[in-house]
Amino acid sequence: MKRVKYRSIDERNEAITAYLMILPAVLIIALVALWPVLNSFWISMFDLRLNHPSKNKVTLEYKIDLEKFADTQYYIKSIFRQLRASEELNSDPQKVDAIQAEINSIKEELIKQPGIEEKYTQVETLLDNMKPVNDDELRFAVISHDFAEKYLEKVANVRASLEALSLKKDDAASQGASLMEELRTSILEPNYIGLKNYAHFFNELKVKDGKLGRLGKTLLNTLFITVVSVGFELLLGLMIALIINRPYKGRGLTRAAVLVPWAIPTVVSARMWLSLYDGQTGIFAYWLTKLGIIPDAGLLLTTKSGALFSIIFADVWKTTPYLALLLLAGLQGISADLYEAANIDGATRIQQFFKITLPLLKPTIVVSLLFRTLDAFRIFDLIFVLTGGGPGNSTESISIYAYVTMFSQMDFGKGSTLSIMVFLCVTLISIFYIKLLGADVMGNRLEERG
Amino acid sequence: MKKNPSVGFYIFLAIFLIFILFPFYYVFLTSIRKPSEIYSSFKIYTLDPTIQSYIHAFTWRPFGRYLYNSFIIAGGTTLLSIIIASFASYATARLKFRGKSILLGVVLGVSMFPQIAIISPMYIFLRDMGLRNTHMGLIIPYITFSLPLAIWYLTTFFKDIPFSLEEAAKIDGASPFQAFFLVIAPLAAPGVFTTAILVFIGAWNEYLFAYTLNTDDYMRTVTVGITMFNSQYTVPWGEISAAAVIVTVPLVIMVLLFQKRIVSGLTSGAVKG
Repeated sequence: MKRVKYRSIDERNEAITAYLMILPAVLIIALVALWPVLNSFWISMFDLRLNHPSKNKVTLEYKIDLEKFADTQYYIKSIFRQLRASEELNSDPQKVDAIQAEINSIKEELIKQPGIEEKYTQVETLLDNMKPVNDDELRFAVISHDFAEKYLEKVANVRASLEALSLKKDDAASQGASLMEELRTSILEPNYIGLKNYAHFFNELKVKDGKLGRLGKTLLNTLFITVVSVGFELLLGLMIALIINRPYKGRGLTRAAVLVPWAIPTVVSARMWLSLYDGQTGIFAYWLTKLGIIPDAGLLLTTKSGALFSIIFADVWKTTPYLALLLLAGLQGISADLYEAANIDGATRIQQFFKITLPLLKPTIVVSLLFRTLDAFRIFDLIFVLTGGGPGNSTESISIYAYVTMFSQMDFGKGSTLSIMVFLCVTLISIFYIKLLGADVMGNRLEERG
Repeated sequence: MKKNPSVGFYIFLAIFLIFILFPFYYVFLTSIRKPSEIYSSFKIYTLDPTIQSYIHAFTWRPFGRYLYNSFIIAGGTTLLSIIIASFASYATARLKFRGKSILLGVVLGVSMFPQIAIISPMYIFLRDMGLRNTHMGLIIPYITFSLPLAIWYLTTFFKDIPFSLEEAAKIDGASPFQAFFLVIAPLAAPGVFTTAILVFIGAWNEYLFAYTLNTDDYMRTVTVGITMFNSQYTVPWGEISAAAVIVTVPLVIMVLLFQKRIVSGLTSGAVKG
């Protein structure tokens, strides 16, 4: 009894040590990977634009643009002076008084809101000195939802009263009514928009007037590039692996050569291929024209089909050797005895391939395909450098589209929506492959490792 | 299995190797050609080599600085990931605890995260922290893919070390930490080294984060810098090619020196696991 108890304490201590050892890694992964993904999802539900003064932060609160509000006050004062000066409009002075009282009450109540008075005085001082309010903290003040609603209601009332007072177009009352628009837009609603960004992109998946939306096209491009490149890479890689799976002189050289395209940055290989595809100086384009495959060397990068071919070819060049290497390692794991036995039984080489090689290689193939498909689906560097998504945006991949939305248009809300879509697609692809591999096999692989 | 490969086999091998290596050769050729020759010749040799393009590569752009930035960032990423991953991988490979497959599943999943999925919060965070255009500002996002990768590879390598050694250490009264530092760490050194190479190459080659986060020319990495060789009227193919060669050569040397290790690392990641 005593021994068992001792062992269990020992095991518990071991587990505690283990948890302590994995703790830093777990914390860091949670912090730099899981939290950002959740945060991306959060951002995707906002109208967040980094170059927009009032929408450059994620906010669930109502805010008021104090600069705009204070600025409008000057114009309102002058409007009321004009109103009182006009005999026609001021026919009922009590009415004008009532309207002015209501509009003044808006300002009075705003000042009473917590923390507003101090900020408002500062903003007014700046405006009096003809200075812009550059500090967003000062300019945009948080207000309660209740206040925002009351404010908007009052502004609408004043607007209606002024419109009723107005006799002709562009008189003081009518101008006053249009000033109310300024007051109304001084209130900034929370930029939380729920799933509207997603709705926007689902619309882009539809065919309208015979044209597929931009996301639809982008998705088709990405799928086309993924399926064709990975397909070619697998077929060629398998062929190469089968052929070089034997002892021969120069194995080391082959291995080193095969590793080089894998090791260099994609950007560098893209730059290299760009120079080979170039319509003026590119030798690859030149040869293709000499061989009569393309009529003009310039076509490779300036037409959609040429650009897609260029992208896929460069990708196949860079990754086939790597895939061949993985498959070769898988082939070397298959025992030679199996083939000897098959030979004795009189099985042909083709039978051997389909009955022995392929089934035993299946896990390696599926795992390599999983890695490659995920890589190809999020393709960015190669297209970005080779074609920039062009000509037009005909070779844009979904990652490029997300990048452009975020960093050219500075629309982080929509951009994050696209990146979450990439994330979901990648997850679906993984689930598909794990199903293909069999969840047990995947589980076992993790267990074996653990 | 034939013992002696036929002539046909060597012809196939030659075609395969030419397919892989020709682009490198031609880019090297472009880098030593005179500009006039680049635009007029499609020959696959040159009789009039020049190193002018290499001089331009370092003088037109702060290419030395790009190399330095890449080296610091990739080195820092590697060092940090390896240290943190060593502990996690040792525990995963050699100690008993609950939730091990979940941990490995998460690690594998995170290593496949598309970078674009985390770039928006990462960008906002690093901007607010004032870490844009710093080395640390790229090391942090690079940890997202390098740490899971390091844990994944190191776990395999740690598992391959015989358990009996540790048992012996335990019987002699060593704690798991002592066993780790005194017995396992020295034996694991080759595996750690291999992992470090793989992580370093991954960080060195990264483009998206580097391009969006470090926009100050002085803080650019080499992958971004290489796309910056443009001139207004003609494309400076000579300089672009020279830059490509400069970036490729260290990697080629690394691959030649450590090819066996790299292959064992790559295949153990995908084939065994």
